[in-house]
Amino acid sequence: MKRTALRTAVAGAALLAAMGWAHAETVRVTVAEYSSKTGPYFEEAAKAFEEANPGSEIQVEVVPWDVLLQKLTTDISGGANADLSIIGTRWLIDFVDQGIAAPLDDYLTQDFKDRFFPVFLEPSVMQEKTYGLPVAASARAMYYNKDLFEQAGITEVPDTWDELAEAARKIGALGDDIAGFGLQGKEIETDVYFYYAFWAYGGELVEEDGTSGLDSDAGYKAAEMYKSLIDSGATQPGVTSYNREDVQNLFKQGKVGMMITAPFLSNQIKEEAPDLKYGVAAIPAGPEGDRGTYGVTDSIIMFENSENKDLAWKFLDQLFTTEWRAKFTSGEGFLPVNPEVAAQPAFADNADLKEFTALLPDARFAPVIAGWEEIAATTSDAVQTIYLGNGEAKATLDAAAGEINSILGN
Amino acid sequence: MIRSPLTNPYLLILPGFLLAAFIILWPLYQLGTISLNDVNRFGQLRGFNGVENYVAVFTDPDFLGALWRTFIWTGAIVIGTLVVSVPVAMILNEDFYGRAIARVIIMLPWAVSLTMTAIVWRWALNGESGMLNSGLHGLGLIDQNIQWLARASTAFPVQIMIGILVTVPFTTTIFLGGLSSIPDDLYEAAKLEGASRWQTFREITLPLMKPFLNISIVLNMIYVFNSFPIIWATTQGGPANSTDILVTYLYKLGFRFGKLGEASALSVMMFVLLLAFTVLYVSLAMRRERT
Repeated sequence: MKRTALRTAVAGAALLAAMGWAHAETVRVTVAEYSSKTGPYFEEAAKAFEEANPGSEIQVEVVPWDVLLQKLTTDISGGANADLSIIGTRWLIDFVDQGIAAPLDDYLTQDFKDRFFPVFLEPSVMQEKTYGLPVAASARAMYYNKDLFEQAGITEVPDTWDELAEAARKIGALGDDIAGFGLQGKEIETDVYFYYAFWAYGGELVEEDGTSGLDSDAGYKAAEMYKSLIDSGATQPGVTSYNREDVQNLFKQGKVGMMITAPFLSNQIKEEAPDLKYGVAAIPAGPEGDRGTYGVTDSIIMFENSENKDLAWKFLDQLFTTEWRAKFTSGEGFLPVNPEVAAQPAFADNADLKEFTALLPDARFAPVIAGWEEIAATTSDAVQTIYLGNGEAKATLDAAAGEINSILGN
Repeated sequence: MIRSPLTNPYLLILPGFLLAAFIILWPLYQLGTISLNDVNRFGQLRGFNGVENYVAVFTDPDFLGALWRTFIWTGAIVIGTLVVSVPVAMILNEDFYGRAIARVIIMLPWAVSLTMTAIVWRWALNGESGMLNSGLHGLGLIDQNIQWLARASTAFPVQIMIGILVTVPFTTTIFLGGLSSIPDDLYEAAKLEGASRWQTFREITLPLMKPFLNISIVLNMIYVFNSFPIIWATTQGGPANSTDILVTYLYKLGFRFGKLGEASALSVMMFVLLLAFTVLYVSLAMRRERT
């Protein structure tokens, strides 16, 4: 009896699948794997969409962040790209210049636009058209270890880089395996870790005349300040062997007094080191009170060569409803990009997130420049050279600025 | 004797040739085309531009650094592997208690994917929580943690060592095959004549092993020259490009910076370089064999 029921069910399912196949309009979505929750979230969203829209099929491809750009490049050059994809918004200019991304203005109603904070929609507007929807947003703030602060007798959370340097030296003196300031010196965002101080000293990545701002007083001072932290043992030893995750791990182990990173560290601490007493504060300011955090958004774009644009849009429409956004944002530990989501108690009452959102007015996004990745790599190489002591701050930054200027086309 | 056209040797190798051509020559043709064109970030051709891509690669100072390191990398690993593998193979060829287990242990690293090995090493080399530092601490050899991957002067030698470690199993296998093909009576005769162990090694083992040594050198040269995972997983060629070899540099050029034209030009150059070296080595080895 049970058998027959099963068989009928299987046959029925097969029939349904076959019928579905005949009419199925398929939308392929490439998504970046932010955490282990990303894949299941999108699968669930796809399933809900398929149920609500019979005859449609959503295929989700989950790709690790590190290889996302490589996969997209390969797919596009082979004409095998998906219909929708998550990309880093800083890559968008290349996609727009080459006519790969489709403008979404035909679909964007005012009502839909009102679902977002305008500041997050802006980075994906190019040539007066909107090419992407912000799927993830993040900023950076300073995490500090309250226990280490107490042990070192520090009562005030540093608000300037001078205070930070002093606090870092005090904490660094606590023990051999304790570092005051966790300094990232390897892999992705090594340049950004330098910009925090660079911006505080009043630096601009690209100055008004369109040249690199690295060869300025702000650049030299920021680099010398970091270098002096390294030399005085206030950072962890061997900074150039630590990527962001490595520094975060040290922080979770309670071995680092302060570090600057993204909101998702709060989630990780909650799961992996629940006993760690930490606080979140603004990134320190420079002598003139300048301050800058790095704002990052990832966008979801539609490809110009997609054959099912209407259906793809419909899927986007579902993804950007409050219900689905809330689920995604809390799962991944990003900043809410939608006012309605931000108003939900889970986000509005979260002390850590508040620190991050308070920083948003100071947030700077990666400049919209074709070839930005290469500029970032050049900067990373330069600061690594300085951290290692293989080059003087001024000479190294001047050389890097020269290279960047030639990339910028000056 | 009448030859059936079906046994014509050219006809017989045709299917194999076509398959190889499809897998090797077609991509090579594509690569050549891309390298002579102006290409956008997404691999779409934007018009012929001659040798501009090649010139751009040549004038990049990072290229020369990576080229030089590639020679050191390849040479050190190929020679290092040889030096380690010959004695290992000779020991494993002796009959001793537990030989089977010893052989398995030597071969084991081969069963693990190279990327995995490299990632495990990355953890082991971690300055604060790595196994290597804590091991050296335990032995009393160091009293301060060494940040292995922080600078090229320690990172690159360690990477070469990992390279040797993962190349040994394959090379040892080849040598074991070679050793077992040397007839025992040669050694017995030598012993009767009163030859020392060193003499038997120099006069019997080494000459008879020559073809095996040569094949292992050629194959390892090709593998190591193009080996990506070890360096990428440990340092990504950093800090400041100081551990980049040509493959990692190529990856950055192509997939980070989106300069697919220059990346293709570099690939073609690497192909030619490797081909030239291999042909040179093989012809040298063959000539020596004939005389």
